[in-house]
Amino acid sequence: MRKPYLLLTLILPAGATALSAQTDYYLRVGAIGASNLLRDGIVNKITVRQSIAPLVVLGGSLPLKRGYRAGLEGTISSGGFHSTEAGVEASLGTLRTASLLLDLSGPVAGQIRWWIGLGGLFYLPKDDDGIFLQGGTARLLAGAGADWRVPVLPRWDLMTSLRYDFHRFTTAELKARGFGQSQAISRFSASIGIARGLR
Amino acid sequence: MNRRSGWLGISGVLAALLGCSDISAPLRDDLYEWRLFVPAAVGSGTDTLSFHWPRSALPVRVWVEDTVGLPADFDRAITVWKSVYLYREFDARRVSDSVGADVIVRGSGLPASQFSRIRLHSALRPECSGATDLDISDDHTEFRTPVRIFIAPLASPEDPGLSQCLALTSIHELGHAIGIFRHSPNATDIMFANPVVDLPSAFDRGTAEVLYHVPPTLRLVRP
Repeated sequence: MRKPYLLLTLILPAGATALSAQTDYYLRVGAIGASNLLRDGIVNKITVRQSIAPLVVLGGSLPLKRGYRAGLEGTISSGGFHSTEAGVEASLGTLRTASLLLDLSGPVAGQIRWWIGLGGLFYLPKDDDGIFLQGGTARLLAGAGADWRVPVLPRWDLMTSLRYDFHRFTTAELKARGFGQSQAISRFSASIGIARGLR
Repeated sequence: MNRRSGWLGISGVLAALLGCSDISAPLRDDLYEWRLFVPAAVGSGTDTLSFHWPRSALPVRVWVEDTVGLPADFDRAITVWKSVYLYREFDARRVSDSVGADVIVRGSGLPASQFSRIRLHSALRPECSGATDLDISDDHTEFRTPVRIFIAPLASPEDPGLSQCLALTSIHELGHAIGIFRHSPNATDIMFANPVVDLPSAFDRGTAEVLYHVPPTLRLVRP
């Protein structure tokens, strides 16, 4: 399950050597929150949710025509997740997620750009138990958002980003237990960091 | 790839993401009666005894006598019962000191039952026997630790059926200690009085899962 980390560390520097003059890089930190991972009912209603977690974003892009850019963006987050039953929360441990998206961005106005991406989201639980008894899971992920850049140095920008992404969640253990379909999950994140200028 | 096929591809991805309803939980109706019904402590009638370990008491501390491979059998039994739960309702760990243990497991025959103890006999196989003593207060409101489990080998160590009997009896007796106070009526369940299967069935799992979401009638009291 370390593949996402490995991909991030290999792909981005590789792009740097070949196309350093045209490539845009950024590194941001922020926070991410998600909707319920699961709704269950055992006598009472039970929900499972990730806590708001710190987020690290690393990405890069190459220019296309008319101000559009194509790139790759990876994120890593790590935080707790918990169940809630009859108003009582119980910790279920630590859940890390990593995502890798191929993306497209373009100008909106001034220093604001739109962003869309498609890729994969990897759930990497610290412990293989409960809903992750058979391990983590990989899900198809689609996202959209906006970036705002403010030049702060000759070649570096301050970059602020808002993201929304969507995927459907289930695990091998939930399927084995007879859970049907999958849960729609919306995630929101806000992050701030530095970017090599697009100038 | 032309523009039309590109849009078709994007539409397919979006349909895969957005389609379907939300996750649907399974019906949990595979279960049997786990509660114990005893003559009422006060007056006539019946008292219902049910218990599960509260989250604040987890992990349950289990001390196991180091004989006939019981420590390994109970490590496995703990793993087996933990795996039943989706939301960390139960956890246990083996401890090295019996002082302060919540569950004490001995690899010996059964002592005389003590007053106020409820003994759950099980495993009437020829290779080994098991029993679990529950210490319930006279007014049927308190569940006092330690729970005492006795597992006695009845066959010689060379008997090929002994290790299997000890393993499944360990899971069975720990099942009583987690709160399944009654035996299943189904021979295909590990909590059948004379268990023959090696692992909890769907009915065992369903029962163990549900009992941790029903308010217990007994309150845990540690010495």
